Amino acid sequence: MTSRQRRIGVLLVWLALVVAGMGWISRTHFSADLSAFLPQSPDARQRVLIEQLQTGVASRTLLIGIEDGTDAAQRALVSRSVAKAMRESGLFDQVQNGDASDWKAAGTWLFDHRYRLSTSVTPERFTAAGLHDAISDTLSLLGTPAGNLVKPLLDRDPTGETQGVAESLIPANAPRTEAGVWASRSAPRAVLLATTHAPGSDLDALTIAIAQVQSAFDAATHDMTGAKPRLRLSGAPVFSVQSRDQIKGEAIHLSIVGGIVMGCLLLLAFASPKALLIAFLPVVTGVVAGTTAVSLVFGNVHGLTMGFGSTLIGETIDYAIYYLIQARGAAIPGTGWQRWRDLNWPTVRLGLMTSVCGFAALLFSGFPGLAQLGVFSIAGLVAAALATRYVLPVLAPDGATGMGMRRTMAKVAGAIVRGLPRLRLGLLALGIAALALLAWRGADLWRANLSAMSPLPKEAQALDESLRADIGASDGGLLVVAQGVDVQTLLRNAEAASVRLEKLVDSGELSGFETVTRFLPSEAAQQARVASLPDSVTLRARLTEAMKDLPLPVARLEPFLVDVEAARNQPMVRREDLAAGPLGPIVNSLIYQRPAGGWGALIALHPGTKFDQGRLEAALAGLPNVQVVDVGRELGALYDRYLHEAFVQVLLGALAVVVLLGLYLRSARRLLAVCQPLVFAVVLTLGGLAVLQVQLGILHLVGILLVVAVGSNYALFFDQLRETGRADEDTLASLMLANVTTVVSFGLIAISNIPSLSAIGRVVAPGAMLALLLSAAFVRGAPPAPHVSSDRR
Amino acid sequence: MIFGSKISGWFDGWFGGGFALRCRRLLSGLLLLGAFSASSATAFDLPQLMGLLAKQKSGEARFTEQRFVHGLEGPLNASGTLSFTAPDKLSRRTLTPRPESMVVDGNNMVLSRGERTRTMTLDSVPELQGLVEAMRGTLSGDATALTRYFKSTVGGSPGGWTLDLQPLDSRLAAQVRSVRMSGRGSEVLGLDMDFIGGDRSVMTIVPTRSAP
Repeated sequence: MTSRQRRIGVLLVWLALVVAGMGWISRTHFSADLSAFLPQSPDARQRVLIEQLQTGVASRTLLIGIEDGTDAAQRALVSRSVAKAMRESGLFDQVQNGDASDWKAAGTWLFDHRYRLSTSVTPERFTAAGLHDAISDTLSLLGTPAGNLVKPLLDRDPTGETQGVAESLIPANAPRTEAGVWASRSAPRAVLLATTHAPGSDLDALTIAIAQVQSAFDAATHDMTGAKPRLRLSGAPVFSVQSRDQIKGEAIHLSIVGGIVMGCLLLLAFASPKALLIAFLPVVTGVVAGTTAVSLVFGNVHGLTMGFGSTLIGETIDYAIYYLIQARGAAIPGTGWQRWRDLNWPTVRLGLMTSVCGFAALLFSGFPGLAQLGVFSIAGLVAAALATRYVLPVLAPDGATGMGMRRTMAKVAGAIVRGLPRLRLGLLALGIAALALLAWRGADLWRANLSAMSPLPKEAQALDESLRADIGASDGGLLVVAQGVDVQTLLRNAEAASVRLEKLVDSGELSGFETVTRFLPSEAAQQARVASLPDSVTLRARLTEAMKDLPLPVARLEPFLVDVEAARNQPMVRREDLAAGPLGPIVNSLIYQRPAGGWGALIALHPGTKFDQGRLEAALAGLPNVQVVDVGRELGALYDRYLHEAFVQVLLGALAVVVLLGLYLRSARRLLAVCQPLVFAVVLTLGGLAVLQVQLGILHLVGILLVVAVGSNYALFFDQLRETGRADEDTLASLMLANVTTVVSFGLIAISNIPSLSAIGRVVAPGAMLALLLSAAFVRGAPPAPHVSSDRR
Repeated sequence: MIFGSKISGWFDGWFGGGFALRCRRLLSGLLLLGAFSASSATAFDLPQLMGLLAKQKSGEARFTEQRFVHGLEGPLNASGTLSFTAPDKLSRRTLTPRPESMVVDGNNMVLSRGERTRTMTLDSVPELQGLVEAMRGTLSGDATALTRYFKSTVGGSPGGWTLDLQPLDSRLAAQVRSVRMSGRGSEVLGLDMDFIGGDRSVMTIVPTRSAP
């Protein structure tokens, strides 16, 4: 009875843990942003980059296209109504569609503050000669198509400061305008640009914002007759949300398909639905434990980790298979599990420990994404093994009952095991050839980059490029970032950078740039400008002199004198005041509070025809706290660092596995015999991928670690066979079945649409199979091997 | 990322000053010429004029310009050089009273004044695009661009012609009442513009070099 109570107790504890885990998972936040794969200890440039990727304006920018339909007028109508609904929703910091009418409030504000904002306001400009030149320039606009627009401002702003401010705000590569709104140059579509209020890492909020755009579009086109336009969406928020959904969907899809295939295999092998159910228990336990552990440790679960969960099926189901087969045939019913515990569990446990050792290396990764994979795998494998060890004996004390097709499997396995050693020399030669190929290709093999991990389909990337070109939005490829401990320091640094960038604009290297200091100059700059403004009496005298040979009557300029006097007493333009006004969203998109303290300002560049990055960097050299960030280059550098780190970790992991095996086996000969097939399996797999011209990346490395982890189980079994000389039908069948399920589950992942998953699958599926075959092939490699090839005892 | 691209009202101000190949026909017999051509037996029409203009692929000229603006005590004078290379390069360099330049190449326009240089796209401002297209269309003898933006009337004869243009686009029409170009053979010798509100500009063009 105590034994029975104990068994019920075990079941209850297990059930409680699984349910608790599931409960926790249901409340877990799933992320999919790239930042999990960015390092935690970056250098200054990388930190800037990461801040931008996580919360920067680039991560919040939505590109919207309204395509086809009947004509430009219809698209403009939809563009206006979508923009209006989006602005009213409050979900967006700014929504732009090219409609000038939205800028009236901002225009008035800029006009009122022109003497504080205009970089032309210097003491020289307000001398008689300076006034003469400035007013002459303004007069040159009169009597031209623009004359009517300049005239109303002439009396108040004869020196053209408003024009100067406005002109500096016009992007050099503004979109085409059609029917009053922005339109594409290459396709029949109206385009809009929006910045979400939510940060780029808040996928749930981004999902809501995107849905808002869709519903605004639906409402705008609902009552339309004839051809309706289509909505096209792009930008980082869309990609993040789509990636998450895709990875989620694919993980579920793969799990279901994998489960069904595995179920069929197990049914064939056991011919028992009960055995099938029991076999899946460690799998479920492992996935729940892995996900819960990641959630507990990291606070969120990355989509990729979740996708990785489906790969765990392949490995954890092996535990159940070994148990269900090896616990069979007990002399006294109900004691099979005890025999398994004494005879086979130590091997399974060793296999588990080697796997854990391998994955432990990932825990020390500076990249949260890789560390998540490590935590997930370790927790998942340990939980699955514990479930096999303690729960399965309660449910199926004597293993699986049916025999199914296992006899056939054993025969096939036996034939393979007997036949393979003959191919040893050939395999050896093949391995050496693969090794030579790998050595020859060297670092060239590892060409995959960070974007190879992105699950974005080509069409989505093409649409994004096309929309960006339409809007003239930089892809954020090259940024200048200024920093400061407080807002004023930041603004002064940004102004210093602007002065140098302005020279590059004049020389044609840049066609323009965008900086917050055009709306929000530093207080020092504002003070200097206001100090350049002479008092009324002085100004009047200078003006009279300046206007001598100009056809504009001085008497008309009284409003100018009034405005200049007023500007002298105007309060400072401060960030806080600006934030509440019409320019608030723009200011907020260009200036940000850094998570680590201090402030940052983003200066977006529009390269001109003569642009040269070296000259840009030289031009900004020596400025304190101003950095040029080449996103592509920095990401590349990050990835290289990431790859290097992963190499070291995989090597350390493999080393840990070898040390552990050595400690257990306590024999150099046996250790060599166990490692030999693993090394060959890895080399042959990589060689095959090299022959197929696959570009290898970090996830292939993770795959190699898995091959070592899974393969070491096979190698250990053959080691055990060699030592004990026992190779019964059931052991062979269990090995074969375990291998087939592994290969099938990773094979499914190999054909997944998500590059990061398929990369793992393409390494592990062939690698695991090779590990088994090579373990069999090299089984007699060690002298004097006992007879193992009997398929019947 | 872009912003503020649409403070458009004001920056239309820019192209006006830089832009405007404002020409003027100073020939005193302009009206007579018109009358003469109207009575001539074979009507001189747009395709014929375009055919003439198409012969010249590039050219350079000096210009003098007078602008009459309400509220000012006298005309505003300017002078400088013009150049054109078919099909789409156009530049105006003002030398007096203050140096400035406007260079249009394809869809890009570069404006320089003093040491400051600004680049912008033509098609982001449709009314500006209309004017430039009309100018380039006329100079290269391409009627398509011209008729897309303007209603045109041709007068005179190959020996002395006028081309009157009325904007079709409502936004341009809110600024420009009419444009008149005049010339002889394949050469444009004058450009006059009448603006809404009564301001007016007349430009006289003297070719300095022309290539067939």
